[in-house]
Amino acid sequence: MSALNRCWPTISALAVVLIAPLLARAQADMATTADRPSHQESAAQHQGGAPPEMTPPPLPAGMSLAEVLDYAASPAPAHFPAPVPDDRLYAFTFFEQLEYRVATDDTPDHLGWEAQGWIGGDFNKFWWKHEGEAVFEGSDQGETETDLLYSRLITPFWNLQAGAQYANEWQSGDYHDRWSAVAAIQGMAPYMFELDTSLYISEEGDVTLALEAEYDLRITQRVVVQPLVAMGFAAQDIAERHLGTGLTDVNLDLRLRYEIKREFAPYIGIRYQFLVGETENIAEKAGADTEQFLVLGGLRLAF
Amino acid sequence: MADNLRPRPPAAMTRRHFLATTGSAALATYLALTRPVGATGPGPALAGEFGELDATAPGGIDLYLERRTLLVGGRPGSAITINGSIPGPVIRMQEGAEALIRVHNRLSESTSIHWHGILLPFTMDGVPGISFPGIPAGDTFTYRFPVRQNGTYWYHSHTGLQEQLGHYGQLIIEPALPDPVEYDVEHSIILSDWTFEEPHRVLWKLKTMEGYYNFQRPTLANIDEQMQATGMSFGEVMGKRLAWNRMRMDPTDIADITGATYTFLLNGKAAHENPTFLASAGQRVRLRIVNASTMTFYDIRIPGLPMMVVQADGQNIKPVETDELRIAVAETYDVVVTLPDDRAYTLFAETMDRSGYARGTLAPCLGMAAALPEPRQRPMLTMADMGMMHGGMEGMDSNGQDDMHQEMAMGHQDQTKARPHQAGGELPTENLPHRLQHGPAEHGPASITMARTASRRLDYPGAGLGSDGWRVLTYSQLRALERPPGRRPPTRQFDLHLTGNMHKYIWGFDGKKWSESDLLRFQYGERLRINMINDTMMSHPIHLHGMWMDLYAGGNLHDNPRKHTVTVQPAELLSVDITVDAPGQWAFHCHLLYHMEAGMFRTVAVVRSLEGGPIHVRS
Repeated sequence: MSALNRCWPTISALAVVLIAPLLARAQADMATTADRPSHQESAAQHQGGAPPEMTPPPLPAGMSLAEVLDYAASPAPAHFPAPVPDDRLYAFTFFEQLEYRVATDDTPDHLGWEAQGWIGGDFNKFWWKHEGEAVFEGSDQGETETDLLYSRLITPFWNLQAGAQYANEWQSGDYHDRWSAVAAIQGMAPYMFELDTSLYISEEGDVTLALEAEYDLRITQRVVVQPLVAMGFAAQDIAERHLGTGLTDVNLDLRLRYEIKREFAPYIGIRYQFLVGETENIAEKAGADTEQFLVLGGLRLAF
Repeated sequence: MADNLRPRPPAAMTRRHFLATTGSAALATYLALTRPVGATGPGPALAGEFGELDATAPGGIDLYLERRTLLVGGRPGSAITINGSIPGPVIRMQEGAEALIRVHNRLSESTSIHWHGILLPFTMDGVPGISFPGIPAGDTFTYRFPVRQNGTYWYHSHTGLQEQLGHYGQLIIEPALPDPVEYDVEHSIILSDWTFEEPHRVLWKLKTMEGYYNFQRPTLANIDEQMQATGMSFGEVMGKRLAWNRMRMDPTDIADITGATYTFLLNGKAAHENPTFLASAGQRVRLRIVNASTMTFYDIRIPGLPMMVVQADGQNIKPVETDELRIAVAETYDVVVTLPDDRAYTLFAETMDRSGYARGTLAPCLGMAAALPEPRQRPMLTMADMGMMHGGMEGMDSNGQDDMHQEMAMGHQDQTKARPHQAGGELPTENLPHRLQHGPAEHGPASITMARTASRRLDYPGAGLGSDGWRVLTYSQLRALERPPGRRPPTRQFDLHLTGNMHKYIWGFDGKKWSESDLLRFQYGERLRINMINDTMMSHPIHLHGMWMDLYAGGNLHDNPRKHTVTVQPAELLSVDITVDAPGQWAFHCHLLYHMEAGMFRTVAVVRSLEGGPIHVRS
């Protein structure tokens, strides 16, 4: 009962947020901004006629009132710079994970990274995402995935992205790679979850989906805990990639970082990764591990 | 006037010593005028050592723009100096005379000077891309215009982010008729913000990493603090935080750029340098306050001294006594204070987000200081900033339940029928609609509209003010001292939404940046009303060049004040009437420098006729 009491303010605060739009609708007889003129509408409706007789103020040297008014009706001369360069391009590179992963079983430690970045304006960007891991002790092995995307901001919080992915993996001289077409939705969901969902169609026609969600929980102004969930799905069995239909694998990560600067934060963390369903069965039959627990340490970097 | 230009001297300074340094500073100013090339002396000079020039004196004045390393708050920084200093010299003019100013650009980049709040031919307004192409590196541009007004104003660069580097100064115009403001001494108070970072790097951080400079966010560690500050229970605090999280909003997003990078300056001096302003007991001291910041709203008070506010934006107002005032970026206020005794008084200018302060001292002699007030708790936005509540409860950080009750109780009191546009007819000038409901959000990905309604907030002093037990100035208290000329009911109006995507740092009007916009056409001779509706959760100081905005402050045609810059608070509906008497093209923009640079800007075209379709700002 007391637990319910404690929760009540939370529930009611949530209720306010959820009910507010309905409430707003209930006040339909209040004047709404949608019924009011914008400047273009106002100008179009204006029955102005000739300007009233008034003493013109001091004018630019050598110009008459008529000349100034004529001048003002056109955009600025071509040799003028833009008064504000609001369509400038920016570039951003972000290594969200750049870390050393220590396995708690007998598999070798490895280096892992996940980075993304973009070059572009406010709405249209070239967006790249790159992740991989590489083992440097024992046999030379690793894999990378690189997505090259056109990204468009379609709503205030969401980007729609499309492009291509190049993926490769290697083990002791054995090398495989593939190209896929990608469509992705990336952005921030309510409650401040960062979401990235990508749909892939490989050159063989195999369809897979990758979903990643993360959340920044601030302990202090500079200490942040970040839980992360990554899941893979396959629409069909893909023998050469050892994937079965359905949910294939899950990563559960937890990272604790210290933001020395926002763009420079060392961290430690853990990862529990496991295979699921048909994919898990395939691994078991092959005698491979189906789950792994890793301890991580690394650096989060932006520039 | 000279005493307000002095650095803080040693406590034991004698009057003779004082006069001697005054003389040498005057000489330094003269040298800067005549031989301004290169730094003189062994080390960098101090910031805040500026002189005074008379631009309506015979022969006019020369301003030299140079990059120089100055000690800002004791630390070397690369500044854009005007005649060797930041701020630049105080420029005086005489109403009725002609100003003549030669600006010599000794920078390696183009520059400009805009005379903020001054009525002049548009080609003299100093906005590159609108008034002229700018002043190329190495060139000289001559500003010449008749001075048709008086009061306290300022000037600054309108090129890129130069203003952030110190390119600003105060402008004082002496009235042609006897000044209605009576005072014995006057001091210039120029507030600003300074960063040692490269300003474009700052903008890049804002564009790429949301909340980069906010180190006052909600965290697990400050839940208890919030409970104590608001009296809410743990559950209530968490409920409120969840509600904000759900909206993907941060209630502590009060200032984009904070004390995390800024040094807050008063006359170019950091708080610890304590610039001191002399006044003896019984003297009426006029403080001409300018907020020359790029991004910082200041809350100004002089603990123990009430302030008589006599001017706003250079316009005389009916004197209002208050204890604290919030000055938005680009606004000016003149206040008169009288020291009751021979003690020192602290002039305290706390930033709106409480991440720092600038400060000075009013005292009968140099070397004195008074206690510094306790910094206050940083404010948080409330449901009222989303138009979820209004009336007398504003400013209270009540919990969600109360907000909803308030909303339901008040929701049906302020209904106004949709008022179709009345072409040609006269619009009302009093009792304007108090509240509007937001239509469907139509402003696209560049706008996050949280507000459900927009309402008048003229009585609301702003986030973090009003509950300290002392008086705080609000717009509803501003009344013109005399009826300004040209006042008549407007015959046309339009709504302009202030929009932004704080997540992506995109700012604009009606969801569009300048580069995506059309000319905002005004008809020469018309009387026009603009209803500004702030869809964002930040306060925006909106500035119109070339013409006054008559602020609907709850008064009437006679006494609503004239402003060059009006703050529109979150979820506020604010109306200004404009007598369109200045032909040409003018800038209209948010005066938060980085908002402006991100696109919250329009070109206003004062034209003969509004016929024809929209005209894009770029040919």
